[in-house]
Amino acid sequence: MKTLKSVGYLLGLPVILLLWWWIGTSGEANFFVPTPAKLVTTFIDTWFGERMLTDVLPSIMRLVVGVLAAIVLGIVLGLAVGLNRTMRAVTEPVFEFFRALPPPVLVPVLMLLVGINDGMKIAVIISGCVWPVLLNTIEGVRSIDPVQNETSKSYGITGFSRIRYQILPSATPTIMAGVRQALSIGLILMVISEMFASSSGLGFTIVQFQRSFAVPEMWSGIVVLGLIGVALSFIFQWVERRVLRWYHGLKEVENAV
Amino acid sequence: MQSENPTSHKGGRTLPEGEALLSVRNLKKVYHTDAGDIEAVRNLTFDLGRGELVCLVGPSGSGKTTLLKCIAGLMGSTEGEVLLDGQKVTGPPKKMAVVFQEYGRSLFPWLRVVENVELPLKNAGVPKEERKRLVQEALEAVGLDHVPKSYPWQLSGGMQQRVAIARAVAYQPEVLLMDEPFAAVDAQTRADLEDLIRSVWKKLGVTVLFVTHDIDESIYLGERVIILSSSPTIVQEDIVIDLPAERDQLETRSLPRFTELRHHVYGEIQKAKQGHRPEEAITMVVK
Repeated sequence: MKTLKSVGYLLGLPVILLLWWWIGTSGEANFFVPTPAKLVTTFIDTWFGERMLTDVLPSIMRLVVGVLAAIVLGIVLGLAVGLNRTMRAVTEPVFEFFRALPPPVLVPVLMLLVGINDGMKIAVIISGCVWPVLLNTIEGVRSIDPVQNETSKSYGITGFSRIRYQILPSATPTIMAGVRQALSIGLILMVISEMFASSSGLGFTIVQFQRSFAVPEMWSGIVVLGLIGVALSFIFQWVERRVLRWYHGLKEVENAV
Repeated sequence: MQSENPTSHKGGRTLPEGEALLSVRNLKKVYHTDAGDIEAVRNLTFDLGRGELVCLVGPSGSGKTTLLKCIAGLMGSTEGEVLLDGQKVTGPPKKMAVVFQEYGRSLFPWLRVVENVELPLKNAGVPKEERKRLVQEALEAVGLDHVPKSYPWQLSGGMQQRVAIARAVAYQPEVLLMDEPFAAVDAQTRADLEDLIRSVWKKLGVTVLFVTHDIDESIYLGERVIILSSSPTIVQEDIVIDLPAERDQLETRSLPRFTELRHHVYGEIQKAKQGHRPEEAITMVVK
């Protein structure tokens, strides 16, 4: 009964939306809105074949590399800055400036600097995804509990060990919130970087479909993007549940009191 | 042989050179703030002999925590020094362990009970087998060997503080510093924990400096009680607690001697609160 209920919650709204769409498109045909059945067949024809290898996988690969690099870079830089008061004071205004820049405007610049290749697309993704991770890491490191610090100090846990055993775990909840933001920014930038100058990838393909009025194909590409987003979100939640089990438990106990 | 007045020193008791395990000499701590300087500790001198259990008691705001942090090497002193085994303390020494009042913040919530107790040993590079043995022994000593896989926040306050004590004990310190460790637990748990400290102290022969604001607790636990004045802090009196070695929550606390000592310490604290300062104590320690 309980599983039935949760399945109901999970699928309820999607089913209603599908029905609405089906009813809405069952009358006279609109060139720009395909019927559900048409979209499903187009989806299968378009994406389950060569395009999976030439467009979908390369896009996902760039996204994964870019996001992972941004996470590593953000955490390493964030630790360096967060642990040092002077560094924080010096870098904060600069970071605010760079964070305020919309990453898509960097695409033409990076095209000139890096060239038109995978490196450029990954660089665009990094340039946008690194900020939430970086700023959240700084915040997480800065707000560390002074009693925890004294505990580490009194037990001789210093330097790299302290980062590993105390600072990183303690900042993980804040860092994970940054990673979550980075994922959605990454997906957007993946598409945008491929729309400008590219010969493969999801963004490129969807723009091609648009320009050639292949409307159902274009929609099916948008569905692919949505599915990637959902998959990323599920993977994130799965990882987060594992890494932050202690945190959620702790919050539950605190809220119960 | 019991007298009205306890054996006492005005000012802190010192030991002949080489006999003390922990020496505090003319310790002074001034905090520099934007609003001006605050003198938390003016001049403290006392010694702890090997294997002693000494309680430090003083009115609130008498710089007890400041003193403890200076001794633990967590904070530098403005003047004077702390010596452990003849070595000047400049940072947290390997032979010392601290139990903090805020157990909930001192234990790492992302580590399970065993991992918390094990972490300082792991960091110190103690081999795995020995680590396991030390952790097991420490958890048994505090009566917590049945919850090793729990997270600290799943336990009650008293149990969490036991974990913190186990972590300190497993580290095998020569000096155990405790900063009002039972201030945040309920009265019944507190009594159990007091007895736990006595038993751990006896079993391991560790030297304990126990800071508290609770007069009864200081007398019940201590072999000696150091009474601090109000801020800026000096040692008001240093008395010997001549109660039987076997302490019992009911028996010991109902002894006439316990009441006498309690009266005495209470009187001293009241004097301290009213700003009484034993000037002779200062002249004794300052050349």
